Amino acid sequence: MLELDAVSAGYGGGTVLHALDLTVPAGSVHAVVGHNGAGKTTLVHTVAGLLRPRAGSIRVAGTELAGRPAHRVARAGVALVPQGRRVFASLTVAEHLRLAHRAKAAGPWTPERVLALMPRLAERRGHRGGQLSGGEQQMLALARALLTGPRVLLLDEPTEGLAPVYVRRVRELAGLLAQEGLAVLLVSPSPALAVDCADTVTVLTSGRITARLAGTPLRTDPEPLHTALSLDTAGPTGD
Amino acid sequence: MGALDAQLVPAVDGVAYGLLLFVVAAGLGLAFGTAGVLNLAHGALYAVGAYTGAALSDGTWTGLLLGLAAGTLASCAAGVLLSVALAPLARRGHLAQALLTFGLALIGGNLLIEAFGADEMPVHVPAALDASVPLLGHRYPAYRLVFCAMALVLAAAGTWVLTRTRAGAAVRATADDPGMVAACGIAPRAVHTGVLAAAGALAGAAGVLGAPIIGPGPGTADTVLMLSLVVVVLGGLRSLWGTLAAAVAVGEVQTLGVSLAPDWAPYLLFAAMACVLTLRARSAPLHDPAGASDAASAPAAPGPVRRLTTALHTLTGAVRGAAARVPGPRLRRGLPLAVLLVLLAAVPWLLDLYSVSLAAYALALGLVAVSASVMTGHAGLPTLGQTAPFAVGAYTTALAADAGWTAGPLQLCAAAAAAALFSALTGPAVVRARGTTVLMITLALGELTHTALGGMTSLTGGTDGLSGFPATRPLWGAEPLADEAATYGYVLVVAVLALAVTLMLLRSPAGTLLAGIRGAEPRMRAAGHPVGRYLLVAHIGAGTLAGIGGALLVTVQSYVSPADVGFEIAALALLAAVIGGTTSVVGAVLGAGLIVFTRDWLAGVWPGHGPLLLGVLFVLTVHLLPQGLAGLRGGGPAPAKEPA
Repeated sequence: MLELDAVSAGYGGGTVLHALDLTVPAGSVHAVVGHNGAGKTTLVHTVAGLLRPRAGSIRVAGTELAGRPAHRVARAGVALVPQGRRVFASLTVAEHLRLAHRAKAAGPWTPERVLALMPRLAERRGHRGGQLSGGEQQMLALARALLTGPRVLLLDEPTEGLAPVYVRRVRELAGLLAQEGLAVLLVSPSPALAVDCADTVTVLTSGRITARLAGTPLRTDPEPLHTALSLDTAGPTGD
Repeated sequence: MGALDAQLVPAVDGVAYGLLLFVVAAGLGLAFGTAGVLNLAHGALYAVGAYTGAALSDGTWTGLLLGLAAGTLASCAAGVLLSVALAPLARRGHLAQALLTFGLALIGGNLLIEAFGADEMPVHVPAALDASVPLLGHRYPAYRLVFCAMALVLAAAGTWVLTRTRAGAAVRATADDPGMVAACGIAPRAVHTGVLAAAGALAGAAGVLGAPIIGPGPGTADTVLMLSLVVVVLGGLRSLWGTLAAAVAVGEVQTLGVSLAPDWAPYLLFAAMACVLTLRARSAPLHDPAGASDAASAPAAPGPVRRLTTALHTLTGAVRGAAARVPGPRLRRGLPLAVLLVLLAAVPWLLDLYSVSLAAYALALGLVAVSASVMTGHAGLPTLGQTAPFAVGAYTTALAADAGWTAGPLQLCAAAAAAALFSALTGPAVVRARGTTVLMITLALGELTHTALGGMTSLTGGTDGLSGFPATRPLWGAEPLADEAATYGYVLVVAVLALAVTLMLLRSPAGTLLAGIRGAEPRMRAAGHPVGRYLLVAHIGAGTLAGIGGALLVTVQSYVSPADVGFEIAALALLAAVIGGTTSVVGAVLGAGLIVFTRDWLAGVWPGHGPLLLGVLFVLTVHLLPQGLAGLRGGGPAPAKEPA
């Protein structure tokens, strides 16, 4: 569903991502794990169109999206749950849902269905984004993403700063949404989250992929992932 | 009771005035809150509607409705044009955008005068409304009551759209986080265009309907812009109710206030604005919107502009190449400055007398421009208020000359001291704020000074200004400056000395401290630097320089009036600083020269088109010289590192 081919990206004079290849098939969760500064958020922003790639190709269901502005990427079926949630502080929960929901996209997601999945949001319908707790904001960011009718879902550190009950909920939802046929790209510094819900785990080090591991075997023995990650800390390259 | 009763009519008038301002100011606030555009052309949008409505009004209902449709459409289209013109500047921040809108307002104002003449235009309301009706024992114009109803309908409709519809939600979401709006599949650019179009339509409709209240004339755009800015600032951007309350309050000041206390009403508005901004600056600055940093949807500059810029860079590259062949880095740095000084010194021999006096005026304006550049580029506080110390210096000099103090050094010291004192008093209000709030506070201070000078007739001569005082003597006992060339020589010597001192200070550790504050203020605070005190010193220094500029202005012109120190001059000073590259002292002086050349010399060739030419200069500058003249010289993207 989502295919990245030799994608390079960066800010100003510096390159952050170096010729990255990545594939996320429909109906699977692909986790990208890496330490701070490895380029995880840059990767997500590049796929979402918030950052223009320097080179390479980004395809969703065969359609080339590299270089398109963010709103076109979103309409092509890429939804973003950003780091730090970034809900609209002055909009109510109901307005978030109305804003994101496009009848034309006509995916399987309606506000009713999303609220059934996240009952907490239904209770908070009339509250503004700024008044919600961290966990509620995370649910709202996810609901907002789903209502755009995505085929690819980008989750950027979705459990950061959340209470354990919400961490568990995010894991469940990631799996559930993959079963619905979405291609889920999850980015996190936490190997535990990746091991729990990913079908494939990629380790990102200083903007380069340093390991690719199948998810299922890691659930019984996460050691290879830990090794790959600790190798990073031993020898990070300077950028 | 009787006294209260007598104020009923102005009080109701105040409500009508306030509702008019609400409809206009809501659009201005919306454009700023959502698209991050401080739209200085907003008054011009109102004027477009007012002129269209007045031209089509013929005393019939058809005329009114036709005017309403045409005026609304015309201003809406102007709003879209504005949005298109602003699109390439999406990443450039508020300053460039504000300057561009001011330039377009100048052009628009000139075109309106061209089309409709320079006189106030009469408006013919429908005959049925052109009568007075009884209101609590008074006669009151029927049109104003109907206007109140129509303004309420407009305000209610706008509020409903903003708070109850998906489009309204998109607008508010864009104000919060344009990047995430894009990630939801909505183009923030489209939202910005829609907001500017809607703001234009509202201003246009208000212009048509409000033409009998604030009629179309050459000063309409400025009046409406200033009043709506005051409303937006007083009301804050967060709530429409706040804007409504502020609008009615301003309306009452303009009607009831003028009727009750005619001497105080003019000051009340800008004083209130300055107070509110100062109090709010600490806690919640005017909510600097995120619109400008919207990286995702901002396209690169379009082809033609980019090509022109490249051409300019190639051209200057050749000049740089020639300069690079000169040996020694010191010589290379100093050579252009030396050439400039020689050229400036040779002006009286090269040009005719009129041009020489223009050059002297440009040097005086250049000092204000440098003072604006010290504030904007070095201290990081973009200012529209350096005309205030400029005015203080100018009037001090004029009054001193009138009292017989004709020695130049004495006048300069008096002007500098008065301007420094003024800046020390107003400084605390300025240095606490950041970003666009500074623009607004300084604008309020400038306007307040301007109004005060026009009002204190016994001291300042009111709007007529001061004249007839003896000419300046360059030194004690010397002959008074008699002709243009001598005056120019005196002005040049003073300006060069003042600029040399400024350059020395900016290159000293004090300049480095300012650069530190501009670049990383929290870190400077954390390192124990009293940032507020440094900025205050910078403000006083910049004010002193502007005061010296004011003294020179009086020496050059031999008269001074409030028109010499108005909002337009403040905008020109800021533009000169931007033309120079915001941090370049020499660049700011050159910018001032370019502006005076455009406004007074070129406009002499094409009479009546000064504002148009200036507007074009504004537009060209923000599009073609993102880093000013300094950017052309260095080519590098680091204007912050170039103190000269």
